[in-house]
Amino acid sequence: MALSPALQLDAAGFSYGAVAALSAVSFAVAPGERVALLGRNGAGKSTLVRLVTGLLHPDEGTVRVGDWDTCDYAPEDLARRVGSVFQHADQQLFARTVREDVSFGPRALGYGEREVARRASDALEALALTAHAAQHPYDLPPALRTLAALAGALALEPAVLVLDEPTVGLDRALRAQVAGALHEHVARGAALLVVTHDLGFAAETLDRGIVLDRGHLAYDEPLATLLASAERLKPLGLVPPAVAALSVALELPGLPVREREAAHTLARVAGAQPRP
Amino acid sequence: MNPLTLEGVEFHYPATEAPALRDVSLAVAAGEIVALVGKVGAGASTLLLVAADLAPRITGGRLTGTVRRRARSGIVLPTPWTQLSGMAFTVWDEVAFGPANLGWPGREIARHVERALERLEIAALAERDPATLSGGEVQRVILAGILAMDPDVVLLDEPTAELDPAGARALWRLVRVLAGEGKAIVVATSDLDAVPAVADRVAWLEQGAVRAMGAPDLLAEEATCEAGLGTTVAGVWRAAGLAAPYPLTVADAIQRWR
Repeated sequence: MALSPALQLDAAGFSYGAVAALSAVSFAVAPGERVALLGRNGAGKSTLVRLVTGLLHPDEGTVRVGDWDTCDYAPEDLARRVGSVFQHADQQLFARTVREDVSFGPRALGYGEREVARRASDALEALALTAHAAQHPYDLPPALRTLAALAGALALEPAVLVLDEPTVGLDRALRAQVAGALHEHVARGAALLVVTHDLGFAAETLDRGIVLDRGHLAYDEPLATLLASAERLKPLGLVPPAVAALSVALELPGLPVREREAAHTLARVAGAQPRP
Repeated sequence: MNPLTLEGVEFHYPATEAPALRDVSLAVAAGEIVALVGKVGAGASTLLLVAADLAPRITGGRLTGTVRRRARSGIVLPTPWTQLSGMAFTVWDEVAFGPANLGWPGREIARHVERALERLEIAALAERDPATLSGGEVQRVILAGILAMDPDVVLLDEPTAELDPAGARALWRLVRVLAGEGKAIVVATSDLDAVPAVADRVAWLEQGAVRAMGAPDLLAEEATCEAGLGTTVAGVWRAAGLAAPYPLTVADAIQRWR
């Protein structure tokens, strides 16, 4: 029997007054799945995130997190299952130290101090923030504040983790740090839904692409096939990331979209020895 | 005289020991685009604040060395929503806020505002309340407000952070057009793959100092790749164990492959 979905939308729709933001969107995400939510500005991505986190309820259809219908739960209750980091999360920190900020979520969910401490430590460790734990969040550069906000969501150890543009302002090393922490979290069975314009990061970190176009679901397929298809991406305001463009241009076998795979394929075709 | 010149600039934020900028010299010519690249915390944002006369004037701290600016400069911060005037109920008025403060006649203001809205492809937003805009829209509105003041020096800190890939492409195209009109442009960006098509020169910052400066080819060199600051194509080439020099772009890779 297949695992029951961690997240399921059935013909979900939402309108802001007369303006339809989402129409009849259906998909399911299984535990352990890593999904990119793509589309141009205004395609409905942020609205979908608000539906999944329970900040909005669908006008039509249903949104379920596990067996919970989001309409039956307040956002703070839904937070037991859905962790989220919004855009500009670096501005949402409020505690006096990074550790306190990361501890806030699990404490609010009612866990004991020992469990709160464990979760905070694990989340800080996963993002290499342990050395900054005692600092005031606003003494950190914005990029590390972004990581601190993500640590706060990881500490909830949610079954569904929803991130909105988690890599803005991060350099390559920090993006790799985020990718590593997300992989670890997903390996424990969480479902991951990431809204991003950073298609390079999506290619490296996620497996499945869901594309919204003017509130409708345009594509739902493996990122590896989607990102190599410039002619399908273009009308959606998307551009293949560099590795996908390189694979297509050089006709690399299997059209890899991840740097490591592309490097290995390139080495094989060229008869070179890839770097370890 | 260059529109922007920094000579031997050292800058300390208040209450920090280590300088945020160390012995930075950079001259930007009219019509030139210089890209600042570096790891987080390397000093690119600080350099832009200094160039914009916001540091130390607003940030506090102390500066030594020389900064020379010819005429007006405008900056788009990585947090553009903090740049909204809060005084305008429509996008049109928001974009007009800067020119109005320059004391221009009304007709002149209108002409510059219309043109800036057009160039950022946000004419349709003119009547909207700035408070209701998305991140990408705000980023465009702030840049429009800067351009409406017709600055000689345009300073951009991660100008595509809020934009979707098509919007980012349009913005980079506009940056080239602005340089073609003679503006001097300095842009800090983590979108390294965009740099070759946009920048005339690249300055690589490390711990507050200029580690290297040169043509965009710099982003295909061993040292930059090693530091995680090469283009994706250069990085893949290098990881494949293929010989240097590495191709900078997909187009270079095709050439090399033949």
